[in-house]
Amino acid sequence: MSAAIFFGIFAALAVLTSLLVVAQRNPTHSALFLVLSFLNVACIYVLLGADFVAVTQVIVYTGAVLVLFLFAIMLVRMEDLPEMYGGHPVQRFVGPVLGVALFLEILAVILSTVPLGAAGTFTPDAIAAVGGNVQAIGRSLYSDFLVPFEISSLVLLVGAIGAIVLAKPDESAARDRETSSLFTISLAHPSESTVASESPYTMLQEREILLRQEHEMDEAGEALRR
Amino acid sequence: MHPGLEWYLSLSAVLFVIGLIGVLTRRNVLVIFMSVEMMLNAVNISFIAFGRALSSATGQVFALFVITIAAAEAAVGLAIVIALARRQDTVDVGQIDTLRE
Repeated sequence: MSAAIFFGIFAALAVLTSLLVVAQRNPTHSALFLVLSFLNVACIYVLLGADFVAVTQVIVYTGAVLVLFLFAIMLVRMEDLPEMYGGHPVQRFVGPVLGVALFLEILAVILSTVPLGAAGTFTPDAIAAVGGNVQAIGRSLYSDFLVPFEISSLVLLVGAIGAIVLAKPDESAARDRETSSLFTISLAHPSESTVASESPYTMLQEREILLRQEHEMDEAGEALRR
Repeated sequence: MHPGLEWYLSLSAVLFVIGLIGVLTRRNVLVIFMSVEMMLNAVNISFIAFGRALSSATGQVFALFVITIAAAEAAVGLAIVIALARRQDTVDVGQIDTLRE
Protein backbone atom coordinates (compact mmCIF):
# COMPACT_ATOMS: atom_id res chain seq x y z
CA MET A 1 0.00 0.00 0.00
CA SER A 2 2.45 2.61 1.15
CA ALA A 3 5.09 1.30 -1.25
CA ALA A 4 2.72 1.86 -4.16
CA ILE A 5 2.01 5.43 -3.03
CA PHE A 6 5.72 6.20 -2.71
CA PHE A 7 6.39 4.59 -6.07
CA GLY A 8 3.76 6.84 -7.64
CA ILE A 9 5.23 9.97 -6.09
CA PHE A 10 8.84 9.19 -7.00
CA ALA A 11 7.98 7.98 -10.48
CA ALA A 12 5.89 11.06 -11.25
CA LEU A 13 8.64 13.36 -9.98
CA ALA A 14 11.32 11.48 -11.92
CA VAL A 15 9.34 11.69 -15.16
CA LEU A 16 8.49 15.36 -14.61
CA THR A 17 12.07 16.41 -13.87
CA SER A 18 13.39 14.34 -16.78
CA LEU A 19 10.96 16.10 -19.11
CA LEU A 20 12.19 19.43 -17.74
CA VAL A 21 15.80 18.40 -18.39
CA VAL A 22 14.98 17.91 -22.05
CA ALA A 23 12.69 20.94 -22.32
CA GLN A 24 14.79 23.57 -20.56
CA ARG A 25 16.54 26.09 -22.78
CA ASN A 26 19.36 26.87 -20.37
CA PRO A 27 21.74 23.89 -19.89
CA THR A 28 22.46 24.96 -16.31
CA HIS A 29 18.78 24.51 -15.46
CA SER A 30 18.83 21.18 -17.28
CA ALA A 31 21.74 20.03 -15.10
CA LEU A 32 19.95 21.07 -11.90
CA PHE A 33 16.76 19.26 -12.93
CA LEU A 34 18.93 16.25 -13.73
CA VAL A 35 20.02 16.26 -10.06
CA LEU A 36 16.37 16.03 -9.00
CA SER A 37 15.73 13.27 -11.53
CA PHE A 38 18.69 11.23 -10.28
CA LEU A 39 17.62 11.66 -6.66
CA ASN A 40 14.13 10.41 -7.46
CA VAL A 41 15.55 7.43 -9.32
CA ALA A 42 17.71 6.72 -6.24
CA CYS A 43 14.49 6.66 -4.19
CA ILE A 44 13.07 4.15 -6.66
CA TYR A 45 16.18 2.00 -6.09
CA VAL A 46 15.52 2.11 -2.36
CA LEU A 47 11.95 0.97 -2.98
CA LEU A 48 13.38 -1.95 -4.96
CA GLY A 49 15.60 -2.92 -2.03
CA ALA A 50 18.86 -1.88 -3.71
CA ASP A 51 20.25 0.32 -0.93
CA PHE A 52 23.88 0.18 -1.99
CA VAL A 53 23.12 1.09 -5.61
CA ALA A 54 20.95 3.98 -4.38
CA VAL A 55 23.79 5.40 -2.26
CA THR A 56 26.25 4.90 -5.13
CA GLN A 57 23.84 6.69 -7.42
CA VAL A 58 23.68 9.69 -5.10
CA ILE A 59 27.45 9.83 -4.60
CA VAL A 60 28.57 9.17 -8.16
CA TYR A 61 25.83 10.83 -10.20
CA THR A 62 24.63 13.77 -8.16
CA GLY A 63 27.99 14.19 -6.46
CA ALA A 64 30.59 13.70 -9.15
CA VAL A 65 29.07 13.57 -12.61
CA LEU A 66 26.77 16.56 -12.13
CA VAL A 67 29.61 18.68 -10.77
CA LEU A 68 31.56 17.70 -13.86
CA PHE A 69 28.62 18.77 -16.01
CA LEU A 70 28.34 22.12 -14.27
CA PHE A 71 32.08 22.69 -14.71
CA ALA A 72 31.81 21.91 -18.41
CA ILE A 73 28.84 24.28 -18.77
CA MET A 74 30.78 27.05 -17.06
CA LEU A 75 33.87 26.43 -19.21
CA VAL A 76 31.90 26.60 -22.44
CA ARG A 77 31.03 30.15 -23.37
CA MET A 78 27.34 30.82 -22.96
CA GLU A 79 26.86 33.07 -25.98
CA ASP A 80 27.50 30.35 -28.52
CA LEU A 81 24.93 27.98 -27.12
CA PRO A 82 23.02 26.57 -30.05
CA GLU A 83 19.43 26.64 -28.76
CA MET A 84 19.23 30.39 -29.13
CA TYR A 85 18.70 30.40 -32.88
CA GLY A 86 16.09 27.72 -33.32
CA GLY A 87 16.41 24.07 -34.21
CA HIS A 88 15.75 21.87 -37.18
CA PRO A 89 11.97 21.55 -37.52
CA VAL A 90 12.45 18.06 -38.97
CA GLN A 91 14.43 16.97 -35.92
CA ARG A 92 11.88 18.43 -33.55
CA PHE A 93 9.11 16.51 -35.28
CA VAL A 94 10.83 13.18 -35.93
CA GLY A 95 12.40 12.82 -32.47
CA PRO A 96 9.18 12.66 -30.43
CA VAL A 97 7.48 10.47 -33.06
CA LEU A 98 10.29 7.92 -32.95
CA GLY A 99 10.32 8.11 -29.16
CA VAL A 100 6.59 7.44 -28.83
CA ALA A 101 6.86 4.57 -31.33
CA LEU A 102 9.67 3.01 -29.30
CA PHE A 103 7.68 3.46 -26.09
CA LEU A 104 4.66 1.67 -27.56
CA GLU A 105 6.88 -1.19 -28.68
CA ILE A 106 8.44 -1.53 -25.22
CA LEU A 107 4.99 -1.35 -23.64
CA ALA A 108 3.76 -4.14 -25.90
CA VAL A 109 6.69 -6.29 -24.80
CA ILE A 110 6.11 -5.50 -21.12
CA LEU A 111 2.40 -6.25 -21.25
CA SER A 112 2.82 -9.53 -23.11
CA THR A 113 3.35 -11.98 -20.27
CA VAL A 114 6.79 -13.43 -20.67
CA PRO A 115 7.58 -16.23 -18.22
CA LEU A 116 10.56 -15.35 -16.07
CA GLY A 117 13.36 -17.79 -15.40
CA ALA A 118 13.85 -19.76 -12.20
CA ALA A 119 14.18 -17.63 -9.07
CA GLY A 120 17.70 -17.27 -7.72
CA THR A 121 19.07 -17.30 -4.21
CA PHE A 122 19.08 -13.54 -3.63
CA THR A 123 15.97 -13.62 -1.43
CA PRO A 124 15.38 -11.20 1.46
CA ASP A 125 16.04 -14.02 3.92
CA ALA A 126 19.39 -14.82 2.31
CA ILE A 127 20.35 -11.12 2.33
CA ALA A 128 19.45 -10.85 6.01
CA ALA A 129 21.46 -14.02 6.78
CA VAL A 130 24.59 -12.53 5.16
CA GLY A 131 24.19 -9.27 7.09
CA GLY A 132 22.56 -6.84 4.71
CA ASN A 133 22.40 -5.55 1.17
CA VAL A 134 25.97 -4.21 1.08
CA GLN A 135 27.44 -7.49 2.31
CA ALA A 136 25.43 -9.52 -0.17
CA ILE A 137 26.43 -7.28 -3.08
CA GLY A 138 30.06 -7.38 -1.96
CA ARG A 139 30.09 -11.17 -1.83
CA SER A 140 28.60 -11.39 -5.30
CA LEU A 141 30.96 -8.73 -6.64
CA TYR A 142 34.13 -10.36 -5.30
CA SER A 143 33.24 -13.95 -6.18
CA ASP A 144 31.13 -14.20 -9.33
CA PHE A 145 32.10 -10.87 -10.86
CA LEU A 146 35.74 -10.57 -9.87
CA VAL A 147 37.16 -10.28 -13.40
CA PRO A 148 34.59 -7.71 -14.62
CA PHE A 149 35.22 -5.77 -11.41
CA GLU A 150 38.95 -5.57 -12.11
CA ILE A 151 38.31 -4.69 -15.74
CA SER A 152 35.99 -1.87 -14.69
CA SER A 153 38.77 -0.45 -12.52
CA LEU A 154 41.03 -0.50 -15.58
CA VAL A 155 38.32 1.27 -17.56
CA LEU A 156 38.17 3.98 -14.91
CA LEU A 157 41.96 4.41 -15.03
CA VAL A 158 41.96 4.69 -18.82
CA GLY A 159 39.02 7.09 -18.64
CA ALA A 160 40.85 9.35 -16.19
CA ILE A 161 44.02 9.38 -18.31
CA GLY A 162 42.01 9.94 -21.47
CA ALA A 163 40.10 12.84 -19.93
CA ILE A 164 43.35 14.52 -18.88
CA VAL A 165 44.93 14.03 -22.29
CA LEU A 166 41.85 15.29 -24.13
CA ALA A 167 41.18 18.34 -21.97
CA LYS A 168 44.81 19.45 -21.86
CA PRO A 169 45.28 22.86 -23.49
CA ASP A 170 46.96 21.81 -26.67
CA GLU A 171 49.46 23.44 -28.98
CA SER A 172 48.36 21.02 -31.67
CA ALA A 173 46.65 23.72 -33.71
CA ALA A 174 49.90 25.68 -33.96
CA ARG A 175 51.81 22.46 -34.54
CA ASP A 176 49.44 21.46 -37.33
CA ARG A 177 49.98 24.81 -39.01
CA GLU A 178 53.76 24.45 -38.79
CA THR A 179 53.85 20.92 -40.16
CA SER A 180 51.43 21.72 -42.95
CA SER A 181 53.56 24.71 -43.97
CA LEU A 182 56.68 22.55 -43.83
CA PHE A 183 55.32 19.55 -45.70
CA THR A 184 53.07 21.22 -48.24
CA ILE A 185 54.63 21.29 -51.68
CA SER A 186 52.99 24.27 -53.26
CA LEU A 187 53.38 24.52 -57.01
CA ALA A 188 50.96 27.34 -57.58
CA HIS A 189 52.36 29.78 -55.08
CA PRO A 190 56.12 29.39 -54.84
CA SER A 191 56.35 32.43 -52.61
CA GLU A 192 54.47 30.63 -49.81
CA SER A 193 56.86 27.69 -49.69
CA THR A 194 59.65 30.01 -48.66
CA VAL A 195 57.78 31.03 -45.53
CA ALA A 196 58.67 27.84 -43.69
CA SER A 197 62.32 27.93 -44.62
CA GLU A 198 62.46 31.54 -43.60
CA SER A 199 61.54 30.98 -39.97
CA PRO A 200 64.83 29.35 -38.80
CA TYR A 201 66.67 32.04 -40.66
CA THR A 202 64.76 34.85 -38.92
CA MET A 203 65.36 33.14 -35.60
CA LEU A 204 69.10 33.14 -36.28
CA GLN A 205 68.92 36.78 -37.28
CA GLU A 206 67.13 37.70 -34.08
CA ARG A 207 69.71 35.88 -32.05
CA GLU A 208 72.49 37.66 -33.84
CA ILE A 209 70.85 41.00 -33.14
CA LEU A 210 70.47 40.11 -29.47
CA LEU A 211 74.09 39.06 -29.23
CA ARG A 212 75.16 42.28 -30.93
CA GLN A 213 73.06 44.34 -28.49
CA GLU A 214 74.62 42.53 -25.58
CA HIS A 215 78.05 43.15 -26.97
CA GLU A 216 77.28 46.85 -27.38
CA MET A 217 75.99 47.09 -23.84
CA ASP A 218 79.14 45.47 -22.57
CA GLU A 219 81.21 47.92 -24.51
CA ALA A 220 79.16 50.81 -23.16
CA GLY A 221 79.64 49.52 -19.62
CA GLU A 222 83.37 49.29 -20.14
CA ALA A 223 83.44 52.80 -21.58
CA LEU A 224 81.57 54.12 -18.53
CA ARG A 225 84.00 52.40 -16.19
CA ARG A 226 86.86 54.07 -17.98
CA MET B 1 0.67 -3.95 -2.21
CA HIS B 2 4.10 -3.55 -3.71
CA PRO B 3 4.00 -2.33 -7.31
CA GLY B 4 4.69 -5.14 -9.74
CA LEU B 5 7.50 -5.61 -12.20
CA GLU B 6 5.47 -4.06 -15.04
CA TRP B 7 5.27 -0.72 -13.26
CA TYR B 8 9.01 -0.48 -12.79
CA LEU B 9 9.62 -1.55 -16.39
CA SER B 10 7.11 1.05 -17.61
CA LEU B 11 8.81 3.78 -15.59
CA SER B 12 12.13 2.66 -17.03
CA ALA B 13 10.68 2.78 -20.55
CA VAL B 14 9.27 6.28 -19.99
CA LEU B 15 12.58 7.62 -18.72
CA PHE B 16 14.48 5.92 -21.54
CA VAL B 17 12.17 7.40 -24.17
CA ILE B 18 12.45 10.88 -22.65
CA GLY B 19 16.23 10.55 -22.83
CA LEU B 20 15.98 9.33 -26.42
CA ILE B 21 13.83 12.29 -27.40
CA GLY B 22 16.38 14.57 -25.76
CA VAL B 23 19.21 12.99 -27.76
CA LEU B 24 17.26 13.27 -31.01
CA THR B 25 15.91 16.80 -30.66
CA ARG B 26 18.49 18.82 -28.74
CA ARG B 27 21.54 20.31 -30.44
CA ASN B 28 23.63 21.21 -27.41
CA VAL B 29 26.23 18.51 -26.81
CA LEU B 30 25.98 18.96 -23.04
CA VAL B 31 22.22 18.39 -22.96
CA ILE B 32 22.65 15.37 -25.23
CA PHE B 33 25.11 13.99 -22.68
CA MET B 34 22.63 14.56 -19.87
CA SER B 35 19.99 12.71 -21.86
CA VAL B 36 22.36 9.78 -22.37
CA GLU B 37 22.97 9.64 -18.61
CA MET B 38 19.20 9.60 -18.10
CA MET B 39 18.86 6.66 -20.49
CA LEU B 40 21.57 4.75 -18.60
CA ASN B 41 19.64 5.42 -15.38
CA ALA B 42 16.46 4.07 -16.93
CA VAL B 43 18.28 0.88 -17.90
CA ASN B 44 19.51 0.60 -14.31
CA ILE B 45 15.93 0.64 -13.06
CA SER B 46 15.16 -2.25 -15.41
CA PHE B 47 18.21 -4.19 -14.22
CA ILE B 48 17.34 -3.81 -10.55
CA ALA B 49 13.63 -4.54 -11.07
CA PHE B 50 14.46 -7.75 -12.94
CA GLY B 51 17.01 -8.67 -10.30
CA ARG B 52 14.33 -8.32 -7.66
CA ALA B 53 11.75 -10.25 -9.65
CA LEU B 54 14.21 -13.10 -10.21
CA SER B 55 15.78 -12.86 -6.70
CA SER B 56 19.18 -12.50 -8.28
CA ALA B 57 22.09 -10.31 -7.22
CA THR B 58 23.21 -9.92 -10.83
CA GLY B 59 20.79 -7.06 -11.48
CA GLN B 60 22.24 -4.85 -8.75
CA VAL B 61 25.84 -5.77 -9.63
CA PHE B 62 25.21 -4.85 -13.26
CA ALA B 63 23.65 -1.56 -12.20
CA LEU B 64 26.89 -0.84 -10.32
CA PHE B 65 28.92 -1.62 -13.45
CA VAL B 66 26.68 0.64 -15.50
CA ILE B 67 27.23 3.48 -13.02
CA THR B 68 31.01 2.92 -13.19
CA ILE B 69 31.13 2.98 -16.97
CA ALA B 70 28.80 6.00 -17.05
CA ALA B 71 31.20 7.91 -14.80
CA ALA B 72 34.16 7.10 -17.07
CA GLU B 73 32.08 7.98 -20.12
CA ALA B 74 31.05 11.32 -18.61
CA ALA B 75 34.68 12.21 -17.82
CA VAL B 76 35.92 11.41 -21.34
CA GLY B 77 32.88 12.91 -23.03
CA LEU B 78 33.07 16.19 -21.16
CA ALA B 79 36.79 16.39 -21.90
CA ILE B 80 35.93 16.01 -25.58
CA VAL B 81 33.28 18.74 -25.24
CA ILE B 82 35.79 21.10 -23.65
CA ALA B 83 38.40 20.37 -26.32
CA LEU B 84 35.74 20.94 -28.96
CA ALA B 85 34.62 24.23 -27.44
CA ARG B 86 38.24 25.35 -27.32
CA ARG B 87 39.11 24.47 -30.90
CA GLN B 88 35.83 25.06 -32.72
CA ASP B 89 34.12 27.55 -30.41
CA THR B 90 30.81 25.69 -30.52
CA VAL B 91 28.91 22.98 -28.68
CA ASP B 92 26.31 22.66 -31.44
CA VAL B 93 26.33 19.19 -32.95
CA GLY B 94 24.96 20.64 -36.19
CA GLN B 95 28.06 22.77 -36.68
CA ILE B 96 30.63 20.07 -36.00
CA ASP B 97 31.09 18.97 -39.60
CA THR B 98 34.81 19.49 -40.25
CA LEU B 99 35.19 15.95 -41.56
CA ARG B 100 32.49 16.51 -44.16
CA GLU B 101 34.31 19.27 -46.00
